[in-house]
Amino acid sequence: MNFSETYFAWTFQWKWAAIKNGMKNAVAYRGEFLIDLFSSAFVPAAIQFILWQAIFHNTGITTFAGMSYSELLGYTWTSILFTQIRGGDYDFSLIEMIRTGSLNNYLIRPVGIVEFTYFQGFGEKAPTLIFCMALGLIATIFSSITLPHLFMAMSLAFVGSIIHYFFGACLSVVAFYWENAFAVLMVKNMAVSLLSGELIPLSIIPLRYSWVWHSTPFYLYVFGPTQLALGKWNQAMWAQQMMIALAWLVFFWGLSRILWAHCIRRYQGIGG
Amino acid sequence: MIQTPAIQVIDVKRSFRSVKKESGFKGTVKLLINPEYVVHEALKGVSFSIQPGEFVGLIGANGAGKTTLLKILSGLIPPTSGQASVLGYLPFARELPFRKQISIVMGQKAQLWWDLPAIEAFDLLRALYQIPKDVYKKRVDELTQLLDVDKLLNTQIRRLSLGERMKMEVIGAIIHLPKVIFLDEPTIGLDVLAAQKLREFLKLHNQNEGATIILTSHNMDDISELCKRILLIKEGELIFDGNPDKLTNSNECQLRVKLGSEPSIEDISGMIGIAAQNTIKDEEDPTTYLMTVTRARVAEYLQKLLAHYTVNDIGIQEASLERVIQRIYQQ
Repeated sequence: MNFSETYFAWTFQWKWAAIKNGMKNAVAYRGEFLIDLFSSAFVPAAIQFILWQAIFHNTGITTFAGMSYSELLGYTWTSILFTQIRGGDYDFSLIEMIRTGSLNNYLIRPVGIVEFTYFQGFGEKAPTLIFCMALGLIATIFSSITLPHLFMAMSLAFVGSIIHYFFGACLSVVAFYWENAFAVLMVKNMAVSLLSGELIPLSIIPLRYSWVWHSTPFYLYVFGPTQLALGKWNQAMWAQQMMIALAWLVFFWGLSRILWAHCIRRYQGIGG
Repeated sequence: MIQTPAIQVIDVKRSFRSVKKESGFKGTVKLLINPEYVVHEALKGVSFSIQPGEFVGLIGANGAGKTTLLKILSGLIPPTSGQASVLGYLPFARELPFRKQISIVMGQKAQLWWDLPAIEAFDLLRALYQIPKDVYKKRVDELTQLLDVDKLLNTQIRRLSLGERMKMEVIGAIIHLPKVIFLDEPTIGLDVLAAQKLREFLKLHNQNEGATIILTSHNMDDISELCKRILLIKEGELIFDGNPDKLTNSNECQLRVKLGSEPSIEDISGMIGIAAQNTIKDEEDPTTYLMTVTRARVAEYLQKLLAHYTVNDIGIQEASLERVIQRIYQQ
């Protein structure tokens, strides 16, 4: 048996093919792709910008929760990079497939549906990832962000985006029972927006409530990477947070497998 | 030598529970507060077995349970009770070797990726099924030429006509040469030529590759041209399993008479003493009537017809499969 016939080679080949497929899908409609690329990141940033403007200019304060206006703006612009990376909501594809019965197309294929959807979704998001990485590299020239910190931040945001998907995959099994779980995933996304640091820096949340965002993995999506990029977290902190992120990843990956194996018995394959 | 069946189904039952929605605002509120559930028995204990290489037609009226049975056999849903095995595997266990050896085409659902050209969808399938590149290329060339779609490989699936898309779907389904293929209404919506081309292709594929094929279709041309055996399902029960000729070679035949006048179907049926539903007018000639009658009483019916009408032409033919099936559905 040569290498191309091995199980390892096969899993690599189909995952790579799924990524390529996703990338082709993403750019099939160029206008849509470009609007999504630019608009989805700038809306949360604009909200933050207006919020900080209102707070600092109307009240006349010079610091807010220990952060100056320029620090908050720096956070806002830097966090855009990571907001886009976590933004792949491929879990919505899963509930749509369960609801419409199009899951049939994938269940008969010799691959895991949750994994396949991830790789295809990752492929769709890959151009955005590359764009963010390029923006980050440019930022290292014109700002205080250093290259090592950028890579540490990107790596954490990347693992965070995988956690985000598998967490969504766990929640999507609700669709096997309720037929639709759109609202469940929307609530999850709202919680993520708030607790990931996408809308506000989590450091401004009073210390007595910090356990709330510490007890979820969401801060690893945007807040953690932004702290790393801005140099507020060092290498040791990166290593520690990466270990935590990997533990969350293994947990949600394992849980999604268990839940899907169990809940798929409820699937009715509607239609056809 | 006794062959191991490719497909074995033993007393398979499947029921679905769904919410009963009453009409109007009151029904909507009730659905929210106190939903009422109904259980529908889609399959009520079906048993049969299929040998490797057989081309079997699965027919029945809408809602008879055909697609449910295909979904169970392809591992999409589990049976409520009973046992099904395909190529020796329990379908719902969905083991990797099982999934690599089966395929399903659902005529009413696109399985290829809508926004991608067919060739890119096939490329992905090549990776999923680990088909060597040279074998894959040769196979795509052969299959697309056979189905006359070789010039459309680089066109997005959504831009293809229904017939072209269905041909691509079939190619996508057999590109890995599955041992068992489930075809759920593959010719639905196709024009006569496209349907014929697809039938010829499926026949050839079954002969050359020896794949076991189960075909569901409401088009009796599909069934009579391709299937040497049919499974007839009615309201979740298997009511016939055998050669289609057994259905058409019964004690019934079709009496064809061309009259000098145009009596109504009710009048002519009532006059010779058969049910009106057994008589139809020829679509091309309104003075020609086709009557499904008991073979032993043909002479008696002819005597009555000759006594009451001017008969210009008479013919007796075997009852068509479509007509027989239609009558079974109506019973």
